[in-house]
Amino acid sequence: MKQYVLRRVALAVPTLVLVSVIVFSMMRLMPGDVVIRMVEGHAYAPTIDALRKELGLDRPAYLQYVEWVGGIVLRGDFGESYWTRQPILDEFVGRFPVTLELATLTILVSVVIGIAVGIVSAVRQDTVADYVGRVLAILALSVPYFGLAVLVVVLPSIYFRWTPVWTYVPFTTDPLANLKIMIVPALVFGVTRAGPIMRIMRSALLEVLRQDYIRTAWSKGLTERAIVLRHALKNAMVPVVSLIGLQMPLYIGGSVIIEAIFRLPGVGLFFFEALTRLDYPVVQSVNLIVATMVVALNLLIDLSYAFLDPRIRYR
Amino acid sequence: MRSSTRASATAKRYVAEEAPPSVAPAPARLVVVEVRALPRTRPWYTDVWVTMLRRKPLGTVGGLIVLGMLLAALLADSLTSYGFSETNLRERFIAASGDHWLGTDQLGRDVLTRILYGARISLYVGFGAVSLGSLLATALGIFSAYWGGRVDLLLQRAVDAWMAFPGLLILMSILSLLGPSVLNITLVLGLAFGIQNSRIVRGVALSIKEHTYIESARALGSGHARITVTHVLPNVLPTIIVVATTGLSTVILTEASLSFLGLGVPPPYPTWGGMLSLAGLDHMYRAPWLAVWPATALSLAVFGFNMLGDALRDLLDPRLRGG
Repeated sequence: MKQYVLRRVALAVPTLVLVSVIVFSMMRLMPGDVVIRMVEGHAYAPTIDALRKELGLDRPAYLQYVEWVGGIVLRGDFGESYWTRQPILDEFVGRFPVTLELATLTILVSVVIGIAVGIVSAVRQDTVADYVGRVLAILALSVPYFGLAVLVVVLPSIYFRWTPVWTYVPFTTDPLANLKIMIVPALVFGVTRAGPIMRIMRSALLEVLRQDYIRTAWSKGLTERAIVLRHALKNAMVPVVSLIGLQMPLYIGGSVIIEAIFRLPGVGLFFFEALTRLDYPVVQSVNLIVATMVVALNLLIDLSYAFLDPRIRYR
Repeated sequence: MRSSTRASATAKRYVAEEAPPSVAPAPARLVVVEVRALPRTRPWYTDVWVTMLRRKPLGTVGGLIVLGMLLAALLADSLTSYGFSETNLRERFIAASGDHWLGTDQLGRDVLTRILYGARISLYVGFGAVSLGSLLATALGIFSAYWGGRVDLLLQRAVDAWMAFPGLLILMSILSLLGPSVLNITLVLGLAFGIQNSRIVRGVALSIKEHTYIESARALGSGHARITVTHVLPNVLPTIIVVATTGLSTVILTEASLSFLGLGVPPPYPTWGGMLSLAGLDHMYRAPWLAVWPATALSLAVFGFNMLGDALRDLLDPRLRGG
């Protein structure tokens, strides 16, 4: 097991190096110059060349790359924003709890709805409840989350005089007020993500319910509740868990839009604002941090499979 | 390989007549056996649609929606008398009426007209990106699988690195640098689609590579190009069709999210994502139909492509079920 873990971690390193190269070269090779905008529009420095020099953009690209990666590896320094001159890591760490909370609540909402509807749909296969559940899942799959978010922001304010709370309150200051703010975006995002979870829950549970040990459980005279919840559910959860793992990047990507619509000061909004200001160091470093988290998460998921199923370790 | 038996239903199959191994190399004689198709068998590409009509009601509904969208896109010019960027400042924020069936927006443009033309852009970007991406995925996937070894290893690590980025983040980054335009978004979405799906194509090609008919083709002296094009490609094709149809809804949705953020298709071209637009949120309090109709159109399109894709997947490639 130890050897397997080491090998998998070692394999992640070249991936991360490639990730950093892709992000860096993308930012350098493409047209669009922030320096001109900073000097002409906002007078950050007397001349374009002076600002270029100040930001270190006059040196060769490979030096800039080495400096960027070197700073991260040696000092944990992800660089600073062109515009605010604030360290990127500080800003990221400060905003991360918002995004983490949003993602956690979203996953919670989608898992609770998806699994509950999935179970009912599978246990009551081909009844009205099943059809209603499946139609709901298809609807959830079809309605884009940002469309639903816009409708939730706009329509109730016109017809019920209700609006989402626009001023953000951190969880640590007032947990209740914070949850009140977070629950609407989490519900909107979670509901649209529940569709795939429900579908895979239903098909996995249907498959498990046809197996021999379930028939044995029935013949022992167990109640339906005990059979479904105690015996079948656990085995049917494996594909559901791996689907949630696979969808993690979607939750992160989607949080950019959700945070922008509901004005939550999370990493997504930070990224989006940096993007509109062509703040390359921020865009570059946030991409790298998030990609690293995705790689680490995938690694953890892979390792957990190996932990659960010894056959994988020896492949 | 269901499709290979189908495709070769009328083709000729070559069988090398066995010769004792000790005998001096005689020129291999070929016996041509013609495998005749059973009467009343339709070619597989017709068969799929007939089966769908019979057994997949939701897939049929999806197909009809897609057809409707195609018609809207093609006939947008003659279905409406307004231009998609024709402003009329006297008729701003008009609710649904006889003249403007779905109302007008903040510049007095007809919403229905913009929805119809929006179908055109959605399909243009969707089909463009998916065809480009499918070509890339096919080339990359087959090449990587067929070549194998170190090339495969290196290519797959590069694909790993690309897949580590949450899709939307990297697409937003690239598009903000390139600037919004229809061509840029099509290229970028196509690139992303291609890299991502090359994995699936590679997987299928890897298993095809091991079949004995590939070995016999090689024994008959076929070169790499001939083997990949005439033996591997036709067997990967159903997978590619499935990947492409199921991918269309994702691509259309991604284009909409990017246009929603103002990074996709630039104004004045109408797109459903752009009509929902983050920047135009303030207008929607005054005219909720500006939010309702594009959202509905987008949901319908995604629903249609999803259902059509799912049905085609079930009928064409059972291996991908649940994938």
